[in-house]
Amino acid sequence: MAGKTKVMVAGAAALTLGLTAACGGGSDKNSSTTTNGGSTSTFNASTTQIVNPSDKTGGTLNLWSPQAPDSLDPAIAYYAWTINFSRLYSRTLMTYAPKPGKDGLTLVPDLAQAAPTISADGKTYTYKLKSGVKFDDGSVITSKDIKYGIERTFAQDVLPNGPLYAIQDLDQGQHYPGPYKDKDPNKMGLKTVETPDDSTIIFHLAKPNANFPYEITMPIGAPVPQKRDTGEKYALAPASSGPYKFESINPDTGATLVKNPNWDPSTDSVRKQLPDKIVLTVTTNADDMDARLIAGTADLDASQSGVSTQARTQILTNDKLKANAANPNNGFIRYAALAQTVAPLDNVDCRKAIIYASDPTTLQTARGGPIAGGDIATNMLPPNILGSDVKYDPYNRAQGKPQLDLAKQELQKCGHPNGFSTTIAVRNNKPAEIATATALQAALKPAGINASIFQYDGKLIGSIAGSPATVKAKNLGIIIAGWGADFATGYGYLAPIAMGSFIAQSGNFNFPEINDPAINAAFTKGLSEQDPAAAAQDYANANHLVMEGAYYLPFVFDKALNYYNPRLTNVYFNQALAMVDFSQLGVSDGK
Amino acid sequence: MLAYIIRRLINAVVTLIVVTFVTFCVFFLVPKLTGSDPALLYVGKQADPVALAGIREKFGFNDPLIVQYGKFLKGIVAGRDYVTGADVTHCSAPCLGYSFKNSQEVWPLLIHALPVTFSLALGAAVLWVLMGVFFGVVSALRRGSIWDRSAMTVALAGVSLPIYFTGLLSLSIFVYWLGFANPGYTPFFDNPWQWFTGLLLPWITLAFLFAATYARLTRANMLETLGEDYIRTARAKGLRERTVIGKHGLRSGLTPLVTVFGLDLGALLGGAILTEAVYNLRGLGYFALNSIRSSDLPIILGVTLFAAGFIVIMNLIVDLLYGVIDPRVRLG
Amino acid sequence: MSLGPEASISDEITTPTDDAAVERNAGETAIAGRSLKQIAWRRLKKDRVAVGGGIVIIVLIVMAILAPLLIKLLGHPYDEYHNDAIDPTLGLPKGSLGGISKEFILGVEPVNGRDIFSRIVYGAQTTLTVAFLSAFLSTILGVLFGMTAGFVGGWVDSIISRIMDFLLAFPQLLFSIALVSVLPPTSFGLGPRWSRVVVLVIVIGFFGWPYIGRIVRGQTLSLREREFVEASRSLGARSPRILFREMLPNLAAPILVYTTLIIPTNILTEAALSFLGVGIPPPYPSWGGMLSDAVATYRYDAMFMIIPGAMIFITVLAFNLFGDGLRDALDPKAH
Repeated sequence: MAGKTKVMVAGAAALTLGLTAACGGGSDKNSSTTTNGGSTSTFNASTTQIVNPSDKTGGTLNLWSPQAPDSLDPAIAYYAWTINFSRLYSRTLMTYAPKPGKDGLTLVPDLAQAAPTISADGKTYTYKLKSGVKFDDGSVITSKDIKYGIERTFAQDVLPNGPLYAIQDLDQGQHYPGPYKDKDPNKMGLKTVETPDDSTIIFHLAKPNANFPYEITMPIGAPVPQKRDTGEKYALAPASSGPYKFESINPDTGATLVKNPNWDPSTDSVRKQLPDKIVLTVTTNADDMDARLIAGTADLDASQSGVSTQARTQILTNDKLKANAANPNNGFIRYAALAQTVAPLDNVDCRKAIIYASDPTTLQTARGGPIAGGDIATNMLPPNILGSDVKYDPYNRAQGKPQLDLAKQELQKCGHPNGFSTTIAVRNNKPAEIATATALQAALKPAGINASIFQYDGKLIGSIAGSPATVKAKNLGIIIAGWGADFATGYGYLAPIAMGSFIAQSGNFNFPEINDPAINAAFTKGLSEQDPAAAAQDYANANHLVMEGAYYLPFVFDKALNYYNPRLTNVYFNQALAMVDFSQLGVSDGK
Repeated sequence: MLAYIIRRLINAVVTLIVVTFVTFCVFFLVPKLTGSDPALLYVGKQADPVALAGIREKFGFNDPLIVQYGKFLKGIVAGRDYVTGADVTHCSAPCLGYSFKNSQEVWPLLIHALPVTFSLALGAAVLWVLMGVFFGVVSALRRGSIWDRSAMTVALAGVSLPIYFTGLLSLSIFVYWLGFANPGYTPFFDNPWQWFTGLLLPWITLAFLFAATYARLTRANMLETLGEDYIRTARAKGLRERTVIGKHGLRSGLTPLVTVFGLDLGALLGGAILTEAVYNLRGLGYFALNSIRSSDLPIILGVTLFAAGFIVIMNLIVDLLYGVIDPRVRLG
Repeated sequence: MSLGPEASISDEITTPTDDAAVERNAGETAIAGRSLKQIAWRRLKKDRVAVGGGIVIIVLIVMAILAPLLIKLLGHPYDEYHNDAIDPTLGLPKGSLGGISKEFILGVEPVNGRDIFSRIVYGAQTTLTVAFLSAFLSTILGVLFGMTAGFVGGWVDSIISRIMDFLLAFPQLLFSIALVSVLPPTSFGLGPRWSRVVVLVIVIGFFGWPYIGRIVRGQTLSLREREFVEASRSLGARSPRILFREMLPNLAAPILVYTTLIIPTNILTEAALSFLGVGIPPPYPSWGGMLSDAVATYRYDAMFMIIPGAMIFITVLAFNLFGDGLRDALDPKAH
């Protein structure tokens, strides 16, 4: 499931959206009056503006994380924060503009000279590379290095768990096995990617896909020099095309990056190269990390997953600390999926009974409360997506109380006036999800709905909750999950969890197995709209249909409370990365 | 003597082989019996069929159990290669398996975690032996005194306190209330002082638990020894009390402690799971727990073997030591 | 000491394998015969500390049995949420001392506001069930294998002794965590709570038997050579009869003592497994699980850590005191 592994990527529409004023919230360009080193920041300032803007160089940036990176190999990196982190050492053809607000969703040229030329049928993308861009060893980055990086993601037997977009787009039935089994002597056997010369790369897609530029903005689109590729061990010494290169890596305890002398700022309009050194420390002690953040010996939680409970109390009860904290919406919704295949949840009224019986407040508290957990979710489109409307509240959840009367009425309608029994499936490695499962269980009891909790190994989500057969066999009527968009459009967010064509026999995320022609049509119509506002209307319709079908019980529009060291410069929340943009950070005291 | 050592060595090796076999069977059979596929644990969320087949081939999950076990043993002795097509991953001897999740061989990972557990266990051991023996001996010599009673009451309380409770208590008092730094591990050679201060709290907490047991044990043994004939004889000969206690009493009174100490230390060296969990120390125990949570079977198997190895080795050392320190034991 | 992981693995329980002591002890036991029970009882009654421990144990057992009633009178259902007792922003109980009030006599749990008193009482149920049943299982296996090894001798003895040595050389806690975590959450046709109880009983009980087994084997070895056994053998009694009619009664005292002393260890082990997240699954309460939940908030809500911790401590201490007293009472040598 999405969890932390999915990243928010701006949707096709956002490319234009960012430039229009249509997107509501808009882009705050009010430049901060704070001076370098001074900490006049206020709570959540970094979500709308750049805090402590400065070009001061030197010092060491101390990033900490309570979680090891999934991989530093660009073919595998999929955690939102490792994708953000990879921008320090990996460049892609295009990348996100370093701007707060919706402007951060737009793509700007990075290794490419300009945005791609797209053929009339929407299936061929041609990029021209900038000249003179080099790897950290001084060798020139060519189009073949980018192609090789794309090819590596096909080698799922050697490099599993990364994004599969390249395979989906570029496999036209040839089943390219990846470069390690490539019979071509130069390992350039993927025919759907052409490199006529060192500065041109042409992608031939299987079918038109306006999202393609965003997909290869994930690290899978980073160049990898073939002569330095060591297969699965590449994660231990990845080549650098960005402003920093690795000095040392230990996958469990962290990494040290130093300035890459072969990075030329004149070719890179996005990144900064302010600190002399960037140290990533993976700790096992989240409490210790929070204590260090507050004491100033750590600068930022790289995972951006939010401070622990104890530090949250400390920060929220101290105004000075609170000023250096932020809790922006991170584009996730936490929810329970109600599986249609499991009786009696095949009946829409039984599903509604669950929604009405649930207690919005206990679920919110279980997620961490209004500040650290998020706002009570009212529907299935998160607020950062065009077409969303948090005021659309068909089940009257925002008032925060369970509605037992309505639940009983719905039970009557569905033919189970005294309630029924079902199972809540929850991942055993997510404490907050377990907390929501028990909160839901407790709330359903007064309505006569007896839910037992089934905990399963979170790593096996694809073959348990993600397998319709298993869901049916084990009667997993209620599946606790969370979802963050791969693309910040209504399609990117909602289609994978609500469109019939996304139902898969394993690794399924459309847990309720929604296959409603009206919903499918809304998505298809949205994809064909040239005008993003019109598309947004289609996705809003889909959202309404999903809510009317009572397929999902949304818990919260997710938030995470994060704290940053006041000495950090250029702190801002990038909406595409869904977190503070690491590539801009510097330290004001030069230490 | 030599025959004895050889016999003990063979015993130790046999025990270790049995441990590997049992652990191997359990961890590779249980997923089969419960219907989960070990390859799934490697590939994770996407479960791409091609990837699954590749993993199965590479790690030999298709082989019968006994073949897999054979390959595993061979890996320990001679190293092994994991092969899919042209992709070869070499795991050099002693190969305890390959953690796909970390893309690393298990053995170096464990070796890396070892200094933490060693520092924790050995530091605590020094403390608890000193404390335990001191309080035990004094209590035995002043049997029935207020000193004896209070020491034994504290000791009894000590054996009744779980470390996951005392650990949290110590953290709230020393770290959050009195403001000492959070405990943590710094390699000794990086900074001996930080190594010492970072581990002091875990040492004391862990040692308190054991010291309580050792004080009780020492006291009981000393009392028994002091009642023996030869002590009476020594006293009757007119030897000074200090000589009687120091030379005769302590020696045979403390001999049984050696066995217990060996076993305890052996068990701790294999990972002080609870202590490491409470204080977030990245030792073998922490590592094992983490691997269990992420279902990283090769690492679990590796840590189990490691831990069993320490217990067996410590047992062996104890047996051999006995021959040296206990005059009553003859090695035949 | 069974799984008592980071507790000395060989507390007093293993020391009596010292053969001299065993023989003497056994001899006296045999000679004392019927009157031993009375002597022991009289001694135990005089031992105020042991009696205190015994009383606490009885109170705990009564509490566990009467849990539903107690909760009706003094508490709330153990899984009922009380959001009104919680500060929504911080997730901490309202009021001082973890929200202790007339309504909630031991306060409420952070985040969800469940009644701590109810959870402690229900936790006692699980803890005591696991501790007693696993001790029982250890004893049965230990007596069975220990007596067989001691009585039959020869290769049977060597095999059983090797198995016991092997189990003692096994990283038990680690193995138990790994094993319990891969087992399915429900089995034996029971709900998630009791099926996990059964699993815990089996795992803890299984790893505990060699400690009893060693002692029983030692005692059996020495009893085997005693006159009354020789006598009944020469009278033509068959092995089972000798084992159960002649020897078992003479082993009763040490078995009772060591069974009592293994219970507190089992409590600690159960709590440890729950603390590490492989014990009783939520929403069912267990003391170790409560402690582990408290890790997230103990700086700001110490009571939620102290209450279950103190309960574990008191219970284990009571069993230790009682067990020590029982041993002293049954073992004349100690006086």
